[in-house]
Amino acid sequence: MNTPSLALIFLLLWSPLRGPAFAAPVSNHPASTPQQALELLKDTALPDSSAWWPNIKLPLFVANLKANLLFPLKIYQGSNTNFCGYAALSYLPLQDDPLAYTRFMLSLYTDGKASWNGIQFHPSPEIHRAAGTLRFKGILDIRPADQLWFLVLADHFRSYLNFFNRRFHPGAEDTFWAAVSYGKFNRMIRQLFGYRVEALGSDLIRPGFDDLYEYLRKAVQSPGTTYLYVNNTYLHKKNHNKFKGSFPTHFIVLNDIHRIPGETDMVNIIYWDYGGRTLRQVSLRFLKKIIFGVTHCTPPA
Amino acid sequence: MMLPSSLYRTLGLAAIALLLLATSCARLNITNYYHRHRASLDGIEENYRNAFHNKPFSIEFTDRSFNRVSLELVTDTLTYIYEYQIGEPRLQDTLLKFGYDTTAINWLVRTMRSRECTWIDNLDYYSETAKHSLIYISLWPRAFNSPFVNKKYYILTYFQQPQYFDSEGRLLVGHRLRRIRKINGDVYHRINDRVCYTISDRFR
Repeated sequence: MNTPSLALIFLLLWSPLRGPAFAAPVSNHPASTPQQALELLKDTALPDSSAWWPNIKLPLFVANLKANLLFPLKIYQGSNTNFCGYAALSYLPLQDDPLAYTRFMLSLYTDGKASWNGIQFHPSPEIHRAAGTLRFKGILDIRPADQLWFLVLADHFRSYLNFFNRRFHPGAEDTFWAAVSYGKFNRMIRQLFGYRVEALGSDLIRPGFDDLYEYLRKAVQSPGTTYLYVNNTYLHKKNHNKFKGSFPTHFIVLNDIHRIPGETDMVNIIYWDYGGRTLRQVSLRFLKKIIFGVTHCTPPA
Repeated sequence: MMLPSSLYRTLGLAAIALLLLATSCARLNITNYYHRHRASLDGIEENYRNAFHNKPFSIEFTDRSFNRVSLELVTDTLTYIYEYQIGEPRLQDTLLKFGYDTTAINWLVRTMRSRECTWIDNLDYYSETAKHSLIYISLWPRAFNSPFVNKKYYILTYFQQPQYFDSEGRLLVGHRLRRIRKINGDVYHRINDRVCYTISDRFR
Protein backbone atom coordinates (compact mmCIF):
# COMPACT_ATOMS: atom_id res chain seq x y z
CA MET A 1 0.00 0.00 0.00
CA ASN A 2 1.48 3.40 -0.96
CA THR A 3 2.04 6.29 1.42
CA PRO A 4 -0.90 8.49 0.27
CA SER A 5 -3.29 5.55 0.81
CA LEU A 6 -1.96 4.99 4.31
CA ALA A 7 -2.28 8.69 5.06
CA LEU A 8 -5.87 8.68 3.81
CA ILE A 9 -6.79 5.67 6.00
CA PHE A 10 -5.14 7.35 8.97
CA LEU A 11 -7.17 10.52 8.40
CA LEU A 12 -10.38 8.48 8.08
CA LEU A 13 -9.79 6.66 11.34
CA TRP A 14 -8.24 9.37 13.46
CA SER A 15 -10.22 12.10 15.14
CA PRO A 16 -7.54 14.52 16.24
CA LEU A 17 -7.21 16.12 19.61
CA ARG A 18 -8.30 19.70 19.64
CA GLY A 19 -6.86 20.34 23.05
CA PRO A 20 -8.05 19.35 26.50
CA ALA A 21 -9.26 22.90 27.22
CA PHE A 22 -12.94 22.03 27.20
CA ALA A 23 -15.53 24.53 26.02
CA ALA A 24 -16.86 27.29 28.25
CA PRO A 25 -20.37 27.21 29.78
CA VAL A 26 -23.33 27.97 27.53
CA SER A 27 -26.41 29.76 28.73
CA ASN A 28 -29.27 28.62 26.47
CA HIS A 29 -29.22 24.93 27.34
CA PRO A 30 -31.21 22.86 27.72
CA ALA A 31 -32.87 24.32 24.63
CA SER A 32 -36.29 22.95 25.65
CA THR A 33 -37.92 21.05 28.49
CA PRO A 34 -39.63 17.65 28.69
CA GLN A 35 -42.82 19.51 29.65
CA GLN A 36 -42.83 21.43 26.34
CA ALA A 37 -42.27 18.17 24.48
CA LEU A 38 -45.09 16.43 26.37
CA GLU A 39 -47.44 19.30 25.53
CA LEU A 40 -46.55 19.07 21.85
CA LEU A 41 -47.22 15.33 21.97
CA LYS A 42 -50.56 15.90 23.68
CA ASP A 43 -51.64 18.64 21.25
CA THR A 44 -50.67 16.84 18.05
CA ALA A 45 -53.40 14.86 16.33
CA LEU A 46 -51.92 11.62 15.03
CA PRO A 47 -53.58 9.16 12.66
CA ASP A 48 -54.50 5.82 14.28
CA SER A 49 -52.28 4.08 11.82
CA SER A 50 -49.64 5.37 9.48
CA ALA A 51 -49.39 4.26 5.87
CA TRP A 52 -45.65 4.87 6.13
CA TRP A 53 -45.15 2.61 9.13
CA PRO A 54 -47.47 -0.38 8.74
CA ASN A 55 -46.05 -2.20 11.77
CA ILE A 56 -46.15 0.63 14.28
CA LYS A 57 -49.10 0.73 16.66
CA LEU A 58 -49.98 4.27 17.69
CA PRO A 59 -50.64 3.61 21.43
CA LEU A 60 -47.22 1.94 21.81
CA PHE A 61 -45.55 4.69 19.78
CA VAL A 62 -47.00 7.44 21.98
CA ALA A 63 -46.28 5.52 25.20
CA ASN A 64 -42.68 5.07 24.03
CA LEU A 65 -42.22 8.79 23.32
CA LYS A 66 -43.71 9.69 26.72
CA ALA A 67 -41.41 7.22 28.48
CA ASN A 68 -38.37 8.69 26.70
CA LEU A 69 -39.37 12.22 27.72
CA LEU A 70 -40.10 11.34 31.34
CA PHE A 71 -37.24 8.87 31.82
CA PRO A 72 -34.63 9.80 29.20
CA LEU A 73 -31.92 7.64 30.77
CA LYS A 74 -33.93 4.50 30.20
CA ILE A 75 -33.61 4.47 26.41
CA TYR A 76 -32.29 1.01 25.56
CA GLN A 77 -30.54 -0.19 22.43
CA GLY A 78 -31.98 -3.72 22.65
CA SER A 79 -30.14 -6.90 23.49
CA ASN A 80 -27.60 -8.12 20.93
CA THR A 81 -28.10 -5.21 18.53
CA ASN A 82 -25.38 -2.88 17.24
CA PHE A 83 -27.50 0.19 18.06
CA CYS A 84 -25.33 1.31 20.98
CA GLY A 85 -23.89 4.27 19.04
CA TYR A 86 -27.37 5.57 18.25
CA ALA A 87 -28.60 4.94 21.80
CA ALA A 88 -25.62 6.88 23.17
CA LEU A 89 -26.31 9.65 20.67
CA SER A 90 -29.93 9.85 21.89
CA TYR A 91 -28.64 10.95 25.28
CA LEU A 92 -28.03 14.46 23.85
CA PRO A 93 -31.44 15.41 22.41
CA LEU A 94 -33.35 13.71 25.23
CA GLN A 95 -31.38 15.70 27.80
CA ASP A 96 -30.86 18.97 25.95
CA ASP A 97 -33.66 19.39 23.44
CA PRO A 98 -36.56 16.96 23.96
CA LEU A 99 -38.90 19.28 22.02
CA ALA A 100 -36.82 19.02 18.83
CA TYR A 101 -36.61 15.24 19.30
CA THR A 102 -40.40 14.95 19.68
CA ARG A 103 -41.08 17.21 16.70
CA PHE A 104 -38.75 15.09 14.57
CA MET A 105 -40.37 11.81 15.67
CA LEU A 106 -43.91 13.11 15.09
CA SER A 107 -42.95 14.37 11.67
CA LEU A 108 -41.44 10.98 10.81
CA TYR A 109 -44.59 9.20 11.96
CA THR A 110 -47.02 11.38 10.03
CA ASP A 111 -45.03 12.13 6.86
CA GLY A 112 -42.66 9.16 6.64
CA LYS A 113 -39.76 11.59 6.42
CA ALA A 114 -38.37 14.45 8.49
CA SER A 115 -35.49 16.87 8.79
CA TRP A 116 -33.28 17.92 11.67
CA ASN A 117 -30.81 20.78 11.55
CA GLY A 118 -31.17 20.88 7.75
CA ILE A 119 -30.49 17.16 7.30
CA GLN A 120 -33.23 15.44 5.33
CA PHE A 121 -34.14 11.90 6.39
CA HIS A 122 -35.87 9.81 3.72
CA PRO A 123 -35.95 6.28 5.15
CA SER A 124 -35.79 3.46 2.62
CA PRO A 125 -38.85 1.18 2.10
CA GLU A 126 -37.10 -1.60 4.07
CA ILE A 127 -36.95 0.68 7.10
CA HIS A 128 -40.61 1.63 6.74
CA ARG A 129 -41.51 -2.06 6.88
CA ALA A 130 -39.04 -3.02 9.63
CA ALA A 131 -39.88 -0.41 12.28
CA GLY A 132 -42.10 -2.08 14.87
CA THR A 133 -41.11 -5.62 13.89
CA LEU A 134 -37.82 -6.10 15.80
CA ARG A 135 -38.26 -8.90 18.37
CA PHE A 136 -36.37 -10.72 21.11
CA LYS A 137 -34.49 -7.53 22.00
CA GLY A 138 -35.83 -7.04 25.51
CA ILE A 139 -37.90 -3.92 26.08
CA LEU A 140 -37.05 -2.69 22.58
CA ASP A 141 -39.68 -5.24 21.43
CA ILE A 142 -42.44 -2.93 22.70
CA ARG A 143 -40.68 0.36 21.87
CA PRO A 144 -41.60 1.10 18.24
CA ALA A 145 -40.50 4.73 18.45
CA ASP A 146 -37.01 3.67 19.52
CA GLN A 147 -36.89 1.06 16.77
CA LEU A 148 -37.88 3.75 14.28
CA TRP A 149 -35.31 6.24 15.62
CA PHE A 150 -32.40 3.77 15.60
CA LEU A 151 -33.30 2.34 12.19
CA VAL A 152 -33.69 5.77 10.58
CA LEU A 153 -30.34 6.97 11.95
CA ALA A 154 -28.57 3.80 10.85
CA ASP A 155 -30.19 4.01 7.42
CA HIS A 156 -29.08 7.61 6.91
CA PHE A 157 -25.59 7.85 8.38
CA ARG A 158 -23.07 5.50 6.78
CA SER A 159 -19.34 4.97 7.20
CA TYR A 160 -16.64 2.58 6.03
CA LEU A 161 -17.80 0.03 8.66
CA ASN A 162 -21.11 -0.23 6.80
CA PHE A 163 -19.47 -0.66 3.38
CA PHE A 164 -20.37 -4.34 2.95
CA ASN A 165 -23.80 -4.02 4.59
CA ARG A 166 -25.37 -1.20 2.67
CA ARG A 167 -29.05 -2.14 2.78
CA PHE A 168 -31.22 -3.19 5.68
CA HIS A 169 -32.48 -6.77 5.78
CA PRO A 170 -34.21 -8.58 8.67
CA GLY A 171 -31.60 -9.17 11.33
CA ALA A 172 -29.30 -6.39 10.02
CA GLU A 173 -29.64 -4.55 13.34
CA ASP A 174 -27.27 -7.17 14.80
CA THR A 175 -24.67 -6.77 12.03
CA PHE A 176 -22.20 -4.23 10.68
CA TRP A 177 -25.14 -2.53 8.98
CA ALA A 178 -25.82 -0.84 12.34
CA ALA A 179 -22.20 -0.36 13.39
CA VAL A 180 -20.94 3.13 14.23
CA SER A 181 -17.31 4.11 13.73
CA TYR A 182 -15.73 6.77 15.90
CA GLY A 183 -15.58 9.27 13.04
CA LYS A 184 -19.25 8.69 12.17
CA PHE A 185 -20.30 9.08 15.80
CA ASN A 186 -18.61 12.48 16.07
CA ARG A 187 -19.92 13.53 12.67
CA MET A 188 -23.50 12.67 13.65
CA ILE A 189 -23.26 14.83 16.77
CA ARG A 190 -21.80 17.75 14.83
CA GLN A 191 -24.17 17.58 11.87
CA LEU A 192 -27.39 16.57 13.58
CA PHE A 193 -27.26 18.66 16.73
CA GLY A 194 -24.71 21.32 15.77
CA TYR A 195 -22.61 20.61 18.85
CA ARG A 196 -18.98 21.54 19.20
CA VAL A 197 -17.10 18.23 19.32
CA GLU A 198 -13.66 17.77 20.84
CA ALA A 199 -12.51 14.25 20.02
CA LEU A 200 -9.37 12.30 20.77
CA GLY A 201 -9.06 8.74 19.51
CA SER A 202 -9.60 6.36 16.62
CA ASP A 203 -11.07 3.00 15.63
CA LEU A 204 -7.77 1.17 15.82
CA ILE A 205 -5.20 2.98 17.94
CA ARG A 206 -5.65 3.95 21.56
CA PRO A 207 -4.95 7.63 22.27
CA GLY A 208 -2.08 8.53 24.58
CA PHE A 209 -2.75 10.53 27.76
CA ASP A 210 -0.18 12.16 30.03
CA ASP A 211 -2.61 11.81 32.89
CA LEU A 212 -5.80 9.94 31.99
CA TYR A 213 -7.50 10.61 35.31
CA GLU A 214 -6.97 14.39 35.09
CA TYR A 215 -8.06 14.44 31.47
CA LEU A 216 -11.32 12.63 32.20
CA ARG A 217 -11.94 14.57 35.42
CA LYS A 218 -11.63 17.88 33.58
CA ALA A 219 -13.89 16.61 30.81
CA VAL A 220 -16.73 15.55 33.12
CA GLN A 221 -16.46 18.73 35.15
CA SER A 222 -16.74 20.94 32.06
CA PRO A 223 -20.16 21.83 30.68
CA GLY A 224 -21.30 19.37 28.05
CA THR A 225 -21.35 15.62 27.65
CA THR A 226 -18.38 13.24 27.66
CA TYR A 227 -18.47 10.02 25.67
CA LEU A 228 -16.00 7.17 25.90
CA TYR A 229 -15.46 4.84 22.97
CA VAL A 230 -14.47 1.56 24.59
CA ASN A 231 -13.61 -2.07 24.05
CA ASN A 232 -16.72 -3.63 25.52
CA THR A 233 -15.34 -7.17 25.63
CA TYR A 234 -13.56 -6.05 28.81
CA LEU A 235 -16.08 -3.61 30.26
CA HIS A 236 -19.14 -5.81 29.79
CA LYS A 237 -17.50 -9.21 29.63
CA LYS A 238 -19.55 -11.95 27.98
CA ASN A 239 -17.03 -14.79 27.95
CA HIS A 240 -13.77 -15.85 29.58
CA ASN A 241 -11.74 -16.27 26.39
CA LYS A 242 -8.11 -15.35 26.85
CA PHE A 243 -7.81 -13.88 23.36
CA LYS A 244 -10.13 -10.92 22.95
CA GLY A 245 -10.37 -8.57 19.99
CA SER A 246 -8.51 -5.38 20.75
CA PHE A 247 -10.81 -2.91 19.10
CA PRO A 248 -13.58 -0.63 20.36
CA THR A 249 -17.20 -1.69 20.05
CA HIS A 250 -19.23 0.44 22.43
CA PHE A 251 -20.08 4.03 23.36
CA ILE A 252 -20.79 5.08 26.93
CA VAL A 253 -21.51 8.44 28.54
CA LEU A 254 -19.05 9.21 31.31
CA ASN A 255 -20.91 11.03 34.08
CA ASP A 256 -18.27 11.12 36.82
CA ILE A 257 -14.87 9.86 37.84
CA HIS A 258 -13.14 10.09 41.20
CA ARG A 259 -10.26 8.42 42.96
CA ILE A 260 -10.92 5.88 45.69
CA PRO A 261 -9.35 7.17 48.93
CA GLY A 262 -6.25 5.22 49.92
CA GLU A 263 -5.84 3.66 46.45
CA THR A 264 -3.23 4.86 43.96
CA ASP A 265 -4.62 3.34 40.78
CA MET A 266 -8.29 2.64 41.50
CA VAL A 267 -11.12 4.98 40.53
CA ASN A 268 -14.89 4.95 40.66
CA ILE A 269 -16.49 5.71 37.32
CA ILE A 270 -20.15 6.47 36.83
CA TYR A 271 -21.33 5.93 33.28
CA TRP A 272 -24.50 5.55 31.29
CA ASP A 273 -25.24 2.75 28.86
CA TYR A 274 -27.86 0.02 28.31
CA GLY A 275 -30.65 2.20 29.67
CA GLY A 276 -29.16 3.05 33.05
CA ARG A 277 -26.31 4.48 35.08
CA THR A 278 -23.61 2.27 36.57
CA LEU A 279 -20.99 2.92 39.21
CA ARG A 280 -17.97 0.68 38.89
CA GLN A 281 -14.56 0.42 40.50
CA VAL A 282 -11.81 0.04 37.91
CA SER A 283 -8.07 0.62 37.75
CA LEU A 284 -6.69 3.42 35.59
CA ARG A 285 -4.61 0.74 33.87
CA PHE A 286 -7.84 -1.03 32.90
CA LEU A 287 -9.38 2.24 31.69
CA LYS A 288 -6.31 3.01 29.56
CA LYS A 289 -6.59 -0.44 28.03
CA ILE A 290 -10.25 -0.13 27.04
CA ILE A 291 -10.50 3.53 25.95
CA PHE A 292 -10.09 4.16 22.21
CA GLY A 293 -11.75 7.55 22.14
CA VAL A 294 -12.86 10.42 24.33
CA THR A 295 -15.40 12.82 22.86
CA HIS A 296 -16.52 15.93 24.67
CA CYS A 297 -19.39 17.79 23.10
CA THR A 298 -20.92 21.11 24.01
CA PRO A 299 -24.20 22.49 22.69
CA PRO A 300 -24.22 25.42 20.29
CA ALA A 301 -24.24 28.87 21.90
CA MET B 1 3.83 -42.21 -0.76
CA MET B 2 0.43 -41.12 -2.13
CA LEU B 3 -2.62 -42.07 -0.13
CA PRO B 4 -5.63 -43.26 -2.15
CA SER B 5 -8.50 -40.79 -2.39
CA SER B 6 -10.87 -43.29 -0.75
CA LEU B 7 -8.71 -43.12 2.39
CA TYR B 8 -9.04 -39.30 2.45
CA ARG B 9 -12.78 -39.68 2.11
CA THR B 10 -12.91 -42.20 4.96
CA LEU B 11 -10.79 -39.96 7.20
CA GLY B 12 -12.98 -36.96 6.37
CA LEU B 13 -16.16 -38.87 7.17
CA ALA B 14 -14.65 -40.13 10.42
CA ALA B 15 -13.77 -36.56 11.42
CA ILE B 16 -17.32 -35.38 10.70
CA ALA B 17 -18.76 -38.33 12.65
CA LEU B 18 -16.51 -37.50 15.62
CA LEU B 19 -17.61 -33.88 15.49
CA LEU B 20 -21.29 -34.87 15.44
CA LEU B 21 -20.71 -37.29 18.28
CA ALA B 22 -19.00 -34.58 20.33
CA THR B 23 -21.93 -32.20 19.74
CA SER B 24 -24.56 -34.78 20.66
CA CYS B 25 -22.55 -35.76 23.76
CA ALA B 26 -22.57 -32.12 24.87
CA ARG B 27 -26.34 -31.96 24.38
CA LEU B 28 -26.87 -35.16 26.28
CA ASN B 29 -24.54 -34.01 28.99
CA ILE B 30 -26.33 -30.76 29.78
CA THR B 31 -29.68 -32.53 30.11
CA ASN B 32 -28.07 -35.24 32.22
CA TYR B 33 -26.19 -32.62 34.20
CA TYR B 34 -29.46 -30.85 35.00
CA HIS B 35 -31.18 -34.07 36.12
CA ARG B 36 -28.17 -35.17 38.16
CA HIS B 37 -27.94 -31.83 40.00
CA ARG B 38 -31.57 -30.85 39.77
CA ALA B 39 -32.05 -30.24 43.48
CA SER B 40 -29.18 -27.78 43.82
CA LEU B 41 -29.82 -26.04 40.46
CA ASP B 42 -33.52 -25.61 41.22
CA GLY B 43 -32.48 -24.44 44.71
CA ILE B 44 -30.24 -21.75 43.18
CA GLU B 45 -33.12 -20.62 40.98
CA GLU B 46 -35.64 -20.50 43.81
CA ASN B 47 -33.38 -18.72 46.27
CA TYR B 48 -32.26 -16.23 43.65
CA ARG B 49 -35.83 -15.52 42.58
CA ASN B 50 -36.83 -14.79 46.20
CA ALA B 51 -33.75 -12.70 46.95
CA PHE B 52 -34.08 -10.79 43.67
CA HIS B 53 -37.72 -10.07 44.47
CA ASN B 54 -36.61 -8.34 47.70
CA LYS B 55 -33.78 -6.36 46.09
CA PRO B 56 -32.51 -6.85 42.52
CA PHE B 57 -28.92 -8.01 41.88
CA SER B 58 -26.82 -10.33 39.69
CA ILE B 59 -23.83 -12.50 40.55
CA GLU B 60 -20.88 -13.26 38.28
CA PHE B 61 -17.79 -15.37 38.84
CA THR B 62 -15.09 -13.64 36.87
CA ASP B 63 -12.34 -16.27 36.80
CA ARG B 64 -11.90 -19.93 35.91
CA SER B 65 -11.05 -20.97 39.44
CA PHE B 66 -14.27 -19.41 40.77
CA ASN B 67 -12.32 -17.38 43.33
CA ARG B 68 -13.43 -13.91 42.28
CA VAL B 69 -17.04 -12.85 42.43
CA SER B 70 -18.62 -9.72 41.03
CA LEU B 71 -21.92 -8.38 42.32
CA GLU B 72 -24.21 -6.07 40.38
CA LEU B 73 -26.40 -4.32 42.93
CA VAL B 74 -29.35 -2.55 41.33
CA THR B 75 -30.85 0.55 42.94
CA ASP B 76 -33.38 3.05 41.57
CA THR B 77 -30.66 5.44 40.41
CA LEU B 78 -27.51 3.39 39.88
CA THR B 79 -26.25 -0.12 39.33
CA TYR B 80 -23.18 -0.72 41.48
CA ILE B 81 -20.62 -3.24 40.22
CA TYR B 82 -18.08 -4.49 42.78
CA GLU B 83 -15.64 -7.38 42.56
CA TYR B 84 -14.31 -9.40 45.50
CA GLN B 85 -12.06 -12.29 46.35
CA ILE B 86 -14.12 -15.11 47.88
CA GLY B 87 -14.13 -14.73 51.67
CA GLU B 88 -13.20 -11.05 51.60
CA PRO B 89 -14.93 -9.22 54.52
CA ARG B 90 -15.60 -6.23 52.21
CA LEU B 91 -18.31 -8.27 50.47
CA GLN B 92 -20.34 -8.59 53.69
CA ASP B 93 -19.89 -4.87 54.43
CA THR B 94 -21.24 -3.98 51.00
CA LEU B 95 -24.26 -6.27 51.30
CA LEU B 96 -25.12 -4.82 54.71
CA LYS B 97 -24.59 -1.24 53.48
CA PHE B 98 -27.01 -1.75 50.60
CA GLY B 99 -29.53 -3.65 52.74
CA TYR B 100 -29.26 -7.07 51.06
CA ASP B 101 -30.08 -10.36 52.74
CA THR B 102 -26.54 -11.56 53.49
CA THR B 103 -27.64 -15.12 54.35
CA ALA B 104 -29.37 -15.61 50.99
CA ILE B 105 -26.58 -14.08 48.92
CA ASN B 106 -23.80 -15.93 50.76
CA TRP B 107 -25.69 -19.20 50.20
CA LEU B 108 -26.05 -18.38 46.51
CA VAL B 109 -22.35 -17.52 46.13
CA ARG B 110 -21.34 -20.76 47.86
CA THR B 111 -23.74 -22.97 45.91
CA MET B 112 -23.03 -21.32 42.56
CA ARG B 113 -19.33 -21.87 43.17
CA SER B 114 -19.78 -25.54 43.98
CA ARG B 115 -21.99 -26.02 40.87
CA GLU B 116 -19.55 -24.04 38.65
CA CYS B 117 -22.26 -21.57 37.81
CA THR B 118 -20.66 -18.42 36.42
CA TRP B 119 -23.61 -16.01 36.12
CA ILE B 120 -27.14 -15.59 37.38
CA ASP B 121 -29.54 -12.85 36.39
CA ASN B 122 -33.20 -12.01 35.97
CA LEU B 123 -34.13 -11.27 32.33
CA ASP B 124 -37.25 -9.55 31.07
CA TYR B 125 -38.84 -10.76 27.87
CA TYR B 126 -42.01 -9.84 26.04
CA SER B 127 -44.89 -11.84 24.57
CA GLU B 128 -46.81 -9.43 22.38
CA THR B 129 -46.88 -6.49 24.79
CA ALA B 130 -46.94 -8.43 28.06
CA LYS B 131 -43.79 -8.36 30.15
CA HIS B 132 -42.49 -11.60 31.67
CA SER B 133 -39.29 -12.53 33.39
CA LEU B 134 -37.07 -15.56 33.58
CA ILE B 135 -34.06 -16.61 35.61
CA TYR B 136 -30.94 -17.03 33.52
CA ILE B 137 -28.22 -19.31 34.86
CA SER B 138 -24.89 -19.89 33.05
CA LEU B 139 -22.92 -22.98 33.89
CA TRP B 140 -19.27 -23.38 33.08
CA PRO B 141 -18.42 -26.89 34.21
CA ARG B 142 -14.76 -27.77 33.73
CA ALA B 143 -15.70 -31.16 32.27
CA PHE B 144 -17.33 -29.56 29.22
CA ASN B 145 -14.39 -27.47 28.02
CA SER B 146 -11.38 -28.22 25.88
CA PRO B 147 -8.28 -26.06 26.43
CA PHE B 148 -7.82 -24.94 22.80
CA VAL B 149 -11.34 -24.07 21.77
CA ASN B 150 -13.49 -21.07 22.63
CA LYS B 151 -15.32 -21.44 25.90
CA LYS B 152 -18.84 -22.85 25.83
CA TYR B 153 -21.41 -22.06 28.45
CA TYR B 154 -24.42 -24.14 29.32
CA ILE B 155 -27.34 -21.85 29.89
CA LEU B 156 -30.45 -22.82 31.83
CA THR B 157 -33.52 -20.60 31.70
CA TYR B 158 -36.28 -20.96 34.26
CA PHE B 159 -39.64 -19.62 33.17
CA GLN B 160 -42.50 -18.78 35.51
CA GLN B 161 -45.12 -20.44 33.29
CA PRO B 162 -45.04 -23.62 31.20
CA GLN B 163 -43.75 -22.90 27.71
CA TYR B 164 -44.59 -24.13 24.21
CA PHE B 165 -42.17 -26.17 22.10
CA ASP B 166 -42.09 -27.52 18.56
CA SER B 167 -41.74 -31.20 17.70
CA GLU B 168 -37.95 -30.89 17.96
CA GLY B 169 -38.21 -29.47 21.47
CA ARG B 170 -37.31 -25.89 20.48
CA LEU B 171 -38.78 -23.05 22.53
CA LEU B 172 -41.61 -21.21 20.77
CA VAL B 173 -43.01 -17.72 21.18
CA GLY B 174 -46.45 -19.04 22.17
CA HIS B 175 -49.25 -21.46 21.43
CA ARG B 176 -50.72 -19.42 18.58
CA LEU B 177 -47.52 -17.74 17.40
CA ARG B 178 -45.47 -20.82 16.54
CA ARG B 179 -42.26 -18.92 15.84
CA ILE B 180 -39.03 -19.96 17.54
CA ARG B 181 -38.22 -17.66 20.45
CA LYS B 182 -34.65 -16.46 20.81
CA ILE B 183 -33.16 -15.32 24.08
CA ASN B 184 -29.94 -13.35 23.84
CA GLY B 185 -29.76 -14.43 20.22
CA ASP B 186 -29.86 -18.17 21.03
CA VAL B 187 -32.45 -20.87 20.35
CA TYR B 188 -33.47 -22.83 23.46
CA HIS B 189 -34.41 -26.49 23.93
CA ARG B 190 -36.76 -28.19 26.31
CA ILE B 191 -35.67 -29.88 29.51
CA ASN B 192 -39.12 -29.71 31.04
CA ASP B 193 -42.14 -27.39 30.68
CA ARG B 194 -40.50 -24.56 32.59
CA VAL B 195 -36.78 -25.18 32.14
CA CYS B 196 -34.84 -24.83 28.89
CA TYR B 197 -31.20 -24.97 27.91
CA THR B 198 -28.84 -23.82 25.23
CA ILE B 199 -25.11 -24.04 24.58
CA SER B 200 -23.60 -20.64 23.95
CA ASP B 201 -20.24 -18.97 23.56
CA ARG B 202 -21.46 -16.15 25.86
CA PHE B 203 -22.42 -16.54 29.46
CA ARG B 204 -24.79 -13.54 29.29
